[in-house]
Amino acid sequence: MGLSLQILLPFFGGLAVLFAPRFGRDMERWGTIAVMAVTLLILIFISLNGDSGRWLQMVQADWAPSFGIQVLLAMDGLTAAMLAISAGLGIVCVFISWEVTHRSPLYHAVICWTVAAANGVFLSFDLLVFAFFWELMIIPAFLLIGLWGYGNRESAAMKFLVFNAVAGLGLLAAVFWMGATAPEITFDAFELAEAGYSTPVQVILLLGFALAFMVKLPVPPFHAWLPDAHTQAPTAGSILLAGLLLKTGAYGLFRFPPLLFPDGLMAVAPYGMALGAFGVVYGAILACGQFDAKRLIAYTSIAHMSIVLMGVCGGVHFALAGAGVEMIAHAFSSSALFLLIGALQHRTGTRDLRELGGLQKTAPAFATSFAVFFAAALAMPGTANFLGEALVITGMFQVNWAFAAIALVSLVVSVVYATRLIGAIVFGKPKAETAVFDDLKPYELWPIIALGAGTIVFGLFPQVLIGWLRPAIDAALLPLGVGAP
Amino acid sequence: MTDGSIWSVAPLVLLGFAAILAMVLAPVQPTPRVRLAAAVPMALAVLILLFRLDAPEAPLSVLLADDGMARLGALLAAAAGLGTLSFTRTICTGREGPALVAIAATGGVALASANHGATLFLGLELTTLPMVALALMPRTEAAVEAGYKLFLIAGIGAGAVLMGLAFGFGASGSLRLDAWSVEGPIAAIGLAFLLVGLSVKFALVPFHMWSPDLFAGAPAPVGALAGSISKVAVAIAALRIGLSLPAPEIWKLGLLLTGGAAVILGNLAALRQDNLLRMLGYSSIAHSGYIALVLAVGGDLMGDTVLVYVASYAPAIIAAFAVAGLMGAETRLEDLRGLAWSRPLAGVALGVALLSMAGLPPAVGFIAKIYLFSSLAGEAAWGPLVIAAVGSALGFAYYLRFSIKIFTAPVGPTPRAVLNRADGLAMAVAVALVVALGLYPEPLTALVAASLP
Repeated sequence: MGLSLQILLPFFGGLAVLFAPRFGRDMERWGTIAVMAVTLLILIFISLNGDSGRWLQMVQADWAPSFGIQVLLAMDGLTAAMLAISAGLGIVCVFISWEVTHRSPLYHAVICWTVAAANGVFLSFDLLVFAFFWELMIIPAFLLIGLWGYGNRESAAMKFLVFNAVAGLGLLAAVFWMGATAPEITFDAFELAEAGYSTPVQVILLLGFALAFMVKLPVPPFHAWLPDAHTQAPTAGSILLAGLLLKTGAYGLFRFPPLLFPDGLMAVAPYGMALGAFGVVYGAILACGQFDAKRLIAYTSIAHMSIVLMGVCGGVHFALAGAGVEMIAHAFSSSALFLLIGALQHRTGTRDLRELGGLQKTAPAFATSFAVFFAAALAMPGTANFLGEALVITGMFQVNWAFAAIALVSLVVSVVYATRLIGAIVFGKPKAETAVFDDLKPYELWPIIALGAGTIVFGLFPQVLIGWLRPAIDAALLPLGVGAP
Repeated sequence: MTDGSIWSVAPLVLLGFAAILAMVLAPVQPTPRVRLAAAVPMALAVLILLFRLDAPEAPLSVLLADDGMARLGALLAAAAGLGTLSFTRTICTGREGPALVAIAATGGVALASANHGATLFLGLELTTLPMVALALMPRTEAAVEAGYKLFLIAGIGAGAVLMGLAFGFGASGSLRLDAWSVEGPIAAIGLAFLLVGLSVKFALVPFHMWSPDLFAGAPAPVGALAGSISKVAVAIAALRIGLSLPAPEIWKLGLLLTGGAAVILGNLAALRQDNLLRMLGYSSIAHSGYIALVLAVGGDLMGDTVLVYVASYAPAIIAAFAVAGLMGAETRLEDLRGLAWSRPLAGVALGVALLSMAGLPPAVGFIAKIYLFSSLAGEAAWGPLVIAAVGSALGFAYYLRFSIKIFTAPVGPTPRAVLNRADGLAMAVAVALVVALGLYPEPLTALVAASLP
């Protein structure tokens, strides 16, 4: 029961929030915060009282038994971390949207529904229900970009939707084929893992799954939607995109290919690593050429998520662990960066690097937090991002030193874009736009502190995070025929 | 006839009674009252059908079947008729509107239970002719064109059905559909003719020309009838033929070609439409195409897929036309801007209906898409599967282009729309069905599984 609340509570909470303004001013905001807080408390309670086996908790119930569909929810440490991020970002989104007044009840309901659908993705192990939530997740995010975005929002929203919905068809087709050809129709991932497909079949099915995951991640050449979506989305939309939706792609890649198609994954792994390596370089180089701060960070996201793809395809202990850590670390750092850029745009009306500068003089708190999170995005030692990327690259050296070397070189390139961004925004002389600049307000500062604490605590005490992820990492390695070191 | 068969025939009788009652009252009473008078026996018919869904199969007569499939089809047709009735207005369909809708519903029920050539033909005509009459009611140029196009093309279709029946009779010596499993060129020619006739009604390419004009030019109830009752009933009639005959090659090949062409052409043409009703017209051609592909491929899931598909499409198209009826025939993409804010119920109804047709959760259309893809994938029919996947990818683009407009902020004057109680009820029921069955599909899937032989 407890696990289904992680989905039902935000979903019905979103419905309730629609009617909240009747009970007083700002009630939709407090209502959303309450829903997310209760969801988070239930999550903590379940995690602390979890079973000792492979899963902390597992829930199984019928949904449409005549078609073999069931509700099969399972949570381990990785899932718990993702669920915590999703509820936490839900709260962050409310705080930083305090000045959104345009159709505010629907806005907050849409935030709740995004969280509900993403939680469904993280928890479901019935592949059909997984696909259901996977597709469902697109709709609230689409509304968020299309209704509250900036200038060119409608075409950005359409682009986001068409890319993701079409890619979802690959997942759907693979899932349906697996279900329909099973001896008795079933979509249970654990049962289907035993189905014993031949390697060519596994490769085809894996490509169907991977299409959906790689578009969401996104890895070039499937990334064209992301820069537009990030640029046009409202701040909360960017945060949910970077912190949650991209991570569903990473999570899916981490969870399902090793479980369902180990032989297929091994067969295509070199190509996956090559694509990942290409993505790392491509994202880093394009980030160097951007003048729009949001676009720049969007391209760095492409680079960092490509590292996750490399890690999963590496299929060795270090690389896989690194992929797990990287997706959590990047959820913290990228959502914080989008929060800061959102604040910047709100105050100055521009994101153009050429019109900004000198914030270390006018807004020290902003400048400091910006520098900290960019250090994290750079994977400086001491941040969780460093741990993730270092582990992936270490693992890569065990598998293929060329790809590892490419990833390492891209870290050098990342210094270029990072210094450019920091230099343009934080240092230099204040320009006309930034001469008068209100520093971070408390409702922006608290989320920043929370996200920063996550980045640094996990960076300094990596064993905590690795310990949580351990069962998931071991379970992913087992079918690949690689034991823990 | 046994005692039980009173209940078997009651829905058909009640619907016929509703039609006669509406006809008698039309000259002397205002439309809302006529509508109510017709709605009561129709609602009674729906109730009887609901209660008899799990009753044992009763061979009613040589003309009409009373099995699970017939009951499910009759239920859908009667409910669709009831939904359509709620937005027939004097202004668009004259006072005769309710009577004509009731006749079409009667035809739909007859067609769904047809296991004999005579009932098949009668059912087809009973659903088509009221649509022609309804289309001609407003006497505008567009409506007259739509009505005559339907009349002429459906007339050719009726001729083809008669030819098919004649050849079938020649080959097998019987008009019973289940007696037609004979080999030989004559039976094959008969089936080919029958397929042409049904394809006309089903708007499969290249027999689709009447459909977009009818959707856009004729009053909204006509489009709703064409999209719901006649689609449900023809799909069930075709399914009955497909289930009772052992894999006739010409039937499969014909369905594959016309269905594939319908998916591709319907979706491509819908992509280019700016007019809501024309878009719905072309997209309904595509949906017919998906069903035809499933019928062509066959397999264990064929029956379930066809029934789930029509059952999920019917409430969505009725909701869409209920809204379109309010907005007027010339509703363009820009006119929908902000509908969800000025008329929340109408906006949400149209939005949810389009979502369902696009096959996205939480609408029941997603469940229909599950069945569609599973049934094609389960038979390893890669060609049709690719066509269906490309079709639904195109579908996302045009359905969501319209639905995002509904939810964008209005600029300037908000869309004109006056809701009355019946409209609101029809929309609310349709939306509730679409969302509830999308979130918890078990009642529908279990019902469908139970109603197949």
